[in-house]
Amino acid sequence: MTNRERKVTSTGTPPWKSPVALSLLLHLVIVLVAVTGWTWSSPSHEPPPRSISARLISQQPEPSPVVDTRDQPDRDQQRRAEQERQRIEEERRKAEEARRQAEAQAREVERRKAEEERKRQEALAREREAKAKEAARQKAEAEAKERARQKAEEERKRQEDARKKAEEERRRKEEQARREREEAERRKAEAERKRLEAERRLREQQLEALAEEARRAEEAEALRQQQAAAAKAREAQMLSESEKYQALIRERLSAAWYPPSSATEEMTARLQITLLPTGELADVRLVSGSGNAAFDNSALSAVRSLNRYPVPDDRETFERYFRQFTIEFNPRRLR
Amino acid sequence: MNLSVQTKAFALLATLGLIAGCSSNQTMDDGAYDSASDVAAIDQSGGSTVYGGSDDGGVSAETLTEEERMAAEQAALREITTFYFDFDTSEIKPEARDVLVAHARYLAEHPNQRVRLEGHADERGTKEYNLALGERRAKAVQRFLIVNGASRGQIETVSYGEEKPAVMGSTESAWAQNRRVELVFE
Amino acid sequence: MTYRTWMTFPRAAAAILAACLVLVAPARAELLIRITEGADAAIPISVVPFAEQGALPPGDKVSRIVRDDLTMSGEFRPLPPEKMLSLPSRREDVFFRDWRLLGQRYVLVGELSRQADRVTARYELFDVNQEKRILGESAAASVNNLRTLAHHISDKVYEAITGVPGAFSTKLAYVTVDNANGKPRYRLQVSDVDGKRARIRLESREPILSPAWSPDGKALAYVSFETGKPVVFVHELATGKRTKVADFPGLNSAPAWSPDGKALLLTLSKDGNAEIYRMELASGALKKLTNHWAIDTEATYDATGEGIFFTSDRSGGPQIYYMERIGAEPRRITFGSRYNARPRPDGTGDYVYYVHQRDSAFHIARTNLKTGDETILTRTQSDESPSVSPNGRMLIYATKQGENSVLTVISADGGAAYSLPASEGDVREPAWGPIVQ
Repeated sequence: MTNRERKVTSTGTPPWKSPVALSLLLHLVIVLVAVTGWTWSSPSHEPPPRSISARLISQQPEPSPVVDTRDQPDRDQQRRAEQERQRIEEERRKAEEARRQAEAQAREVERRKAEEERKRQEALAREREAKAKEAARQKAEAEAKERARQKAEEERKRQEDARKKAEEERRRKEEQARREREEAERRKAEAERKRLEAERRLREQQLEALAEEARRAEEAEALRQQQAAAAKAREAQMLSESEKYQALIRERLSAAWYPPSSATEEMTARLQITLLPTGELADVRLVSGSGNAAFDNSALSAVRSLNRYPVPDDRETFERYFRQFTIEFNPRRLR
Repeated sequence: MNLSVQTKAFALLATLGLIAGCSSNQTMDDGAYDSASDVAAIDQSGGSTVYGGSDDGGVSAETLTEEERMAAEQAALREITTFYFDFDTSEIKPEARDVLVAHARYLAEHPNQRVRLEGHADERGTKEYNLALGERRAKAVQRFLIVNGASRGQIETVSYGEEKPAVMGSTESAWAQNRRVELVFE
Repeated sequence: MTYRTWMTFPRAAAAILAACLVLVAPARAELLIRITEGADAAIPISVVPFAEQGALPPGDKVSRIVRDDLTMSGEFRPLPPEKMLSLPSRREDVFFRDWRLLGQRYVLVGELSRQADRVTARYELFDVNQEKRILGESAAASVNNLRTLAHHISDKVYEAITGVPGAFSTKLAYVTVDNANGKPRYRLQVSDVDGKRARIRLESREPILSPAWSPDGKALAYVSFETGKPVVFVHELATGKRTKVADFPGLNSAPAWSPDGKALLLTLSKDGNAEIYRMELASGALKKLTNHWAIDTEATYDATGEGIFFTSDRSGGPQIYYMERIGAEPRRITFGSRYNARPRPDGTGDYVYYVHQRDSAFHIARTNLKTGDETILTRTQSDESPSVSPNGRMLIYATKQGENSVLTVISADGGAAYSLPASEGDVREPAWGPIVQ
């Protein structure tokens, strides 16, 4: 507000950039104020408009250089003319000056009076303006307030919406997460259940298997015992069978063995013999000799002399006892 | 052991003069036993009377003088020149004693008479042992003769063992006749 | 059938088969069969008549002599040639299968070839069951000495099979008694072990006893009654030179050589009783070894040459005593019966053989010096004069056959007996000579 007033008061020193615009604006404002003020104030306040017109003239010369530029070809002359004209001008102006000073003094009194009037008017205007301004300000302020309120309201609403939206989103997400979690949990539970079920089943199967195994073991044991008994019986049978054939072999070999006259009871020859199931001799090997070649030879010859060894028909007994065995020649009772 | 028992037993019997007719153990002959029996035989010479004193002798005694009867008896005894032994013994049998005494007396009465005692064995057992056994039999007879009057110089012994059997054959009878000592007067 | 199949089965294949069988056979407790007794029979052997190159003198064939030798040992049972399926003389012609079928254990084949007065024998001995040659040699002798050649082959065959040197090339001394015309004629003879090639070394009207071989086989000591009483002579066989070594009063008997041949053991009764003396042959020096009132006789050196065995009746009847060394107290060896006499130890020091009375019979028995076990070896009765072969495997003794005395050879363990062919009259007092290289 204050800035505006100051502008008005410093008319004498306005910026030289746009003096016309400024002067016009100022005059417009003065007129406007005068008219306005006039209507509702006393007629004593008439003079101020003249002074305003004067001022307008004095301000006219300044755009002249534009015209000068058209007379340039004849400069000296022009310059002396000018100088003369300037001196006439000077004297005229001095006369003018003296008359103006008189007028100024008159006008000064006038002006002071107008001034006062104007000041008073201005104060009034200013007061009105302030009042209007205040009203406008108040109005703007109210409006601003309202706007701000609305804006805040909007903002609040927006925020509320956003919040709600976020909340909604959060809830949705939460719901989804929950669902997912629940789903996962459900699946997990299902898996666990299945696992447990599987484990249970496995355990059951294992138990069953164990039971089965135990049962089988029991059966196997029974069978084994049965077989062992049978095997024992078989063994006994094989043994007795074996002994029978051992005796036969012993008898045959005793009859076939001619101990040499150099034989002594200290001499022993061991032969390992291998038979075919037919009783035929497949191989004979002197495992340990007596140290007497004739004695060893007599044993080898005896073993080889049997065309067929008496062996059991039973293959198992044969394999067990007679496939390969050792014969020891050791005279105990020399003639 | 047997030896000492026998020796003692015999010594006892000899001392008591109870031997006549006693047939000693034939299987238990050995050197010591032979010697003892020879010695005992001398003591028994009187006992031969008991042996000879049979009924027959008593009957003939009446027909002959005592000397004639004795001489005839001795000559008859001396007809026997072979003396027999049991298996593996050199013991003079009791029945041989009178005869051998008769021979001994004859030799004593005829100092120039020489006699060879040939000892024999049967074929059983070993030749060398039988040779020694024959010799022992001959020497048993030799000792008996000497003890009963003959002198050592009159008697020669030889053993043929089983080499010169009197009887061929392998029977008990042949063996018994081959186990002998023969007196050969030259 | 199967047998033939097996026999023709390629050996390599059989070996592979056997190896496979061994490999696939399951583990099992190995059976052990003990054979503690052998056949109580002689070993079957075929002595195939030898092929002959060049004319040979008539008489027994070499293979025949070998057969008889082996038979005499009591350890062999030769197959009569007429039972042989083939008569091979070389290995290529020996078909083991055939001999196996005949139950033969060994086959001896050979060939004699004559060059001038020499005959060479090439011979091979096969083990039939093992189809293996166990002897292959050649030997030569003069054409008049085919028996020597034959006995040599017998020795080699015997040794190859039994592991003991043969004693078929040794000599026998014995006494024969010919009672023709009631006048006995005593002959000291020396022959081959089979009684062949006998030669009279001494003939006498009086008994001849106890021939004893010198260790080198060159001389005999014996008892002769030719002077009317027993006197000991030493008789050199090569020259016929006789030496009266003991002619003392009484007995001069039972000569036995010391192992070195330098002394004789004698039984003398010059001091009244039969005692054993040792006489040094070079000097005639006597050493009295026994001094006992009993009969001590029939002394013989033991295997070591240190101790002596002898007969003594110091216990009541004749028994075998052993004096470990000269001067040692005699130890009684025999207890089995009341009559055991004439000890003859074998060369091993394991046994002493002697005449043994059992009941009324006289047998040859032996006692194992280590165990004291006594075995009666003969089944005949009236057995006398045992003499052990130098290889210790055979025993010859005299026994009765009807009225006559004959010589019989048995294996030293009492196996089969083989009577030597008797000449007319008695054959007695056998003495088995040493092995002379």
